Amino acid sequence: MSALKDIPVRYETPQTTGGNPLANVFDEFIRFCRSRSLFMLHYCTGCGAIELPPAMTSRFDMERLGIQPMVTPRQADILLVTGYVSVKTLKRVILTYEQMASPKYVIGICSCTVNGGMYWQSYATAKKLNDYLPVDMYIAGCMPRPEAVIEGLRALMDNIAAGTSDNWKDYYQRYDHYLANQQRLFGETWQTPTDVIGEAKNYGVIGPQTEGEHTRLLSLHKQPLEPLRMTLNAGRLERM
Amino acid sequence: MNTEVSTDLVCPDVYQWLCHLLKEIDGITHPPRHARRQRLDVKAEALPALLALLQGKGSFVHLSAISAVDWPDDGEFELVYHVTSYELKVTVSAHIRIPRAPGRYLSIYDIYKPAGFFERDIFEMYGIYFEGSPWMEKFILTEWDGPPPMRKEFDSEGWVNDHFDWQDYHPDWLKDLEAQGGGIAIRSEEQRFSRKSKDEG
Repeated sequence: MSALKDIPVRYETPQTTGGNPLANVFDEFIRFCRSRSLFMLHYCTGCGAIELPPAMTSRFDMERLGIQPMVTPRQADILLVTGYVSVKTLKRVILTYEQMASPKYVIGICSCTVNGGMYWQSYATAKKLNDYLPVDMYIAGCMPRPEAVIEGLRALMDNIAAGTSDNWKDYYQRYDHYLANQQRLFGETWQTPTDVIGEAKNYGVIGPQTEGEHTRLLSLHKQPLEPLRMTLNAGRLERM
Repeated sequence: MNTEVSTDLVCPDVYQWLCHLLKEIDGITHPPRHARRQRLDVKAEALPALLALLQGKGSFVHLSAISAVDWPDDGEFELVYHVTSYELKVTVSAHIRIPRAPGRYLSIYDIYKPAGFFERDIFEMYGIYFEGSPWMEKFILTEWDGPPPMRKEFDSEGWVNDHFDWQDYHPDWLKDLEAQGGGIAIRSEEQRFSRKSKDEG
């Protein structure tokens, strides 16, 4: 076993530009594989969710395209927002999105995510999902049929394979813009547990608009996260 | 025994029976309606006595709902208490009017426990405060700090225009769709809420 230590190990950072002529080939291969194995977290906010069971199950069978539902945001690639997003829900959608690992894609289904749909006049419903999250694909319709859902997912697969669908980088590169819209809606004290700027540095996609006046405002209000208190009678209301 | 006939004949003269019962309280008008859907117009101060009577003597044990109606021209809120009797198979709707300005009324939580739920909802949506109700606090709109949104004077569209941006209209998308054999029948000048038309107009 001691011989294992004697084997020389070299660590190298992969070079993306120049040098290796096969780099693009590998990138293309990775993108191809990535587009064929998409795990989908469906955040069923509205009536569009009812079109997903037929799209997933035997009749339209999304799984033949390599798209499967996934149970946690940490393991998912696609965040599927299926319907109107109320202001309360939008907070949860953003929290869910920021927990997902990159690369990640957002699909807005139904007209409600595009422009508010039939809730255009409602005080409680967010109108443009792409103000708050980087949306890769909108599937319009009220509601879109499973054929349209699968058509949209195939378009997203083509975009991923072609390398043109990288809006998740946009969230890091223009975080100040997205945070500005979030703060406009939720108030100045809005914060998420995720350190988005630190992640942007980690992924190496930090841009000139990542930090700005709104991220400064966030750093003023940001409070450290505290662990949840464990109690024996969990779920019971304190005041009762 | 035919059940349809029997339900109609459970209490053929509920109207008479209610009239007799309601003689005990002043301030109630009782226009004749359908036998199983009685309407009572009650003075606001007589309502708790009426509900206590209906629950205690009249077997109306189920408070189905409390609805609120805003009448801004009259300067009044209308509260409608729907109570149901399973034995008589009758629903009684007691309508009261309270002035809009203070917007306060008594809770009936001590008579019907589910009323706490409805009163909390009405407090949130209309701003009517119910004295004695146990949970007069935020309910569904926990993150809302604007005015009560179901009041008639609340301008929902104005609020939306202040707080949200509208999706810009992109005719290019239509060309792409038409190239694939689809299409939308709304032209750009008919689009209701484009940022462009708002700026020009």
